[in-house]
Amino acid sequence: MKLLRADRLADLAAALAAQGYRVIAPIRQGRIVRLAEWRPGAAIETSGISANSVKDFLFPRSEIIDRYSLNGGDFVQQEVSPEAIKTVVLAVRPCDAESVSVLDTVFNWDSNDVFYNARREACTVVSLACVRADEHCFCTSVGGSPESAEGADAVLRVAGGGDKFIFEPLTPKGHALAEAAGGVLAEGVAAADPVAEIPRRFDVKTVTEWLNKNFDSPLWQEFAAACLGCGACAYACPSCHCFDMQDESTRKESVRYRNWDTCGLALFTLHTSGHNPRSTQTARWRQRVMHKLSYIPQRFNLTACMGCGRCSRLCPNGLGISETCEKIAQLCKANHEGRAR
Amino acid sequence: MEKIEVQTEVKTENTREAFDPRLVAFVCNWCTYAGADLAGTSRLQYAPNVRIIKLPCTGRIDPLLVLKAFEGGADAVLISGCHPGDCHYTSGNYHARRRWSVFGKLLAFAGIGGHRLYFSWVSAAEGQKFADLINSITKEVLAAGPFDPINPARRRI
Amino acid sequence: MSIVDAIRADAAGLLQTGRAKLVLGYRSRRGQRVPILLTDAAGADQLVYDAECRQNLAAYLRKPEVRQHFPVGVVAAPPVMRSLVMLSAESQIAADAVTVLAVSENEYHGALDLAATVQLLREKYANLAPNEELLRKVREVAAMSEEERAAFWTEQFSKCTRCYACRAACPGCYCQWCVAKRNVPQWISTADLAHGTFAWNITRAFHHAGRCTLCGACEAACPQGLPLMLLNACVAECVEKEFGHKTGYDLAEKPLIGSWRPDDDDGFVR
Repeated sequence: MKLLRADRLADLAAALAAQGYRVIAPIRQGRIVRLAEWRPGAAIETSGISANSVKDFLFPRSEIIDRYSLNGGDFVQQEVSPEAIKTVVLAVRPCDAESVSVLDTVFNWDSNDVFYNARREACTVVSLACVRADEHCFCTSVGGSPESAEGADAVLRVAGGGDKFIFEPLTPKGHALAEAAGGVLAEGVAAADPVAEIPRRFDVKTVTEWLNKNFDSPLWQEFAAACLGCGACAYACPSCHCFDMQDESTRKESVRYRNWDTCGLALFTLHTSGHNPRSTQTARWRQRVMHKLSYIPQRFNLTACMGCGRCSRLCPNGLGISETCEKIAQLCKANHEGRAR
Repeated sequence: MEKIEVQTEVKTENTREAFDPRLVAFVCNWCTYAGADLAGTSRLQYAPNVRIIKLPCTGRIDPLLVLKAFEGGADAVLISGCHPGDCHYTSGNYHARRRWSVFGKLLAFAGIGGHRLYFSWVSAAEGQKFADLINSITKEVLAAGPFDPINPARRRI
Repeated sequence: MSIVDAIRADAAGLLQTGRAKLVLGYRSRRGQRVPILLTDAAGADQLVYDAECRQNLAAYLRKPEVRQHFPVGVVAAPPVMRSLVMLSAESQIAADAVTVLAVSENEYHGALDLAATVQLLREKYANLAPNEELLRKVREVAAMSEEERAAFWTEQFSKCTRCYACRAACPGCYCQWCVAKRNVPQWISTADLAHGTFAWNITRAFHHAGRCTLCGACEAACPQGLPLMLLNACVAECVEKEFGHKTGYDLAEKPLIGSWRPDDDDGFVR
């Protein structure tokens, strides 16, 4: 098996960079750890979870999808090639790797998104199993695990009490990466350290069943009460994928951008007529939860929440997917016990 | 993300050596615009670097207009109107004065200050003042150099 | 009685007597302090208060779901008290819409109406010790050359994802049609480009001139760690120095940028 000394993670990054990979890894930037382009000298943080997710590199915050120019009286559309830089996202959490399958599904559902697919094709995902979790993690409640390999091209596992990693390539891309890493990965044998214990907070099937039947529940007002309607949760979420198109124009040129958008903002569903089908924050919060745990499961048989906990960590007001799900689960339990008596 | 540099309306490549400052002046119709007009009819020479944008009153000038000018590549912006007490709409310039006092300081703190943002009172009778003002501002901006690529508000699409 | 016990007792009292139909306070959740909106006196024992409570609860007063429950009680430290006064001065809330559960780190002052709150602010919190750390950082940036400042802010703003958490967290951002929303024309670009992000952050800071109480909720809410308080402090300092204006000490205060005096400074005008 392939082993990597923990203090040689930067060497791995350097070796991959030398082989033409753009290396993205968790890097500390002030008080935030962010997935960012690794440069020599940057320390890769392997504990904790980055504020942003792998999504940033497959479906970026803003992307040019079309260009036009005005040539005299002629309107000329210009070729836009999807960007496909050979990239490795290194040492991301398993929940991030798992989110890629949701993005893969949505961006190839009723049409094949050339921009997403180009980046996806060029991207190798290397996850790092979690030996620690914090109070916001809930991957085990939504069908994930701290050592899940889903969505990853290769996985790293902590071994030897933290002084080395086991590197396990899983896909052809993962194997290509191992080759590119060359001598930084040594042959050897080790046993993986135990992964973090993450107790289940709720039963996702119970919650999904309740969601499927309770669109009109007055409880949504209570769940959404503290929400002030920003995009912090959706933007940080590894599987949120809604977008908006904007044309940025000068008098001679126009560039069409695809930008992230969020159902948390009132503007998201505002019609030109002035009517807004989701005119209250209650309706908007409900949408977020339903989309992830009711609509996408119904349509694709996938849970669109990875349990990474970023929404809970980043929400200034104490909301999060797990908070709402726990309340629903408690309610179901109480009802169930009430009926049983 | 990758930022792609695109040719905007600017045709000239501004280097320090070949720098031709682009000034945008937001002026009020009743005083400064008339003053600029007087400079013209009096055949007073002033630098051709200024693009004058006429508005009814300095009170109408939204800070976002100033930001738009810097977005579009202005090397400097001038805002000019009636002297206090002379506003055609009585108090428009008083509102403007207070607004610019704060906005100017905020913009300076953010890196757009000294030789990039200017304010003046120029009356309809002050053709000479207008000409002198444009000339001195142009000189100062010339010495300061092109605002690109430092301009933090620049649009690059 | 401890501060927290006193807050709990008063909050429960307000709800029981109907003097408030909803109380905005803080609770503990996984080690963090987060807002709680109470409509039932029985929930008052969840209320907590300490220096970690950084959200400005006055921001909730723009929500229809909260307004329908007016009058409300609000647990408020001095910056939040001042925001409440500001909202009343700007006609966003009636003066009798709010009972203030007035608290600071060291003291609880009881359940006060807005007039009494102003009294308290003037007596006890008129000369709040400036945040030395913040001032030091402001000086640091101000001491940079203009080019260094431009580079500094270009880098800081590049982290902004335009999630508008800063806007959501701020009680002063109550506009239903925020200028950032307007797209006919699109005043502020929504793409991840420097010009839009610069315009957004500068406009946000400027729109709070004379209205910001330096509560810090915006910076605390920002998921990317932008130093928003530097911008707010620059504006607040200018506003105090130039116009002697401190937000939230007068229920009849006129909006700073919307008013003027004949002797306003124009030393910066040629």
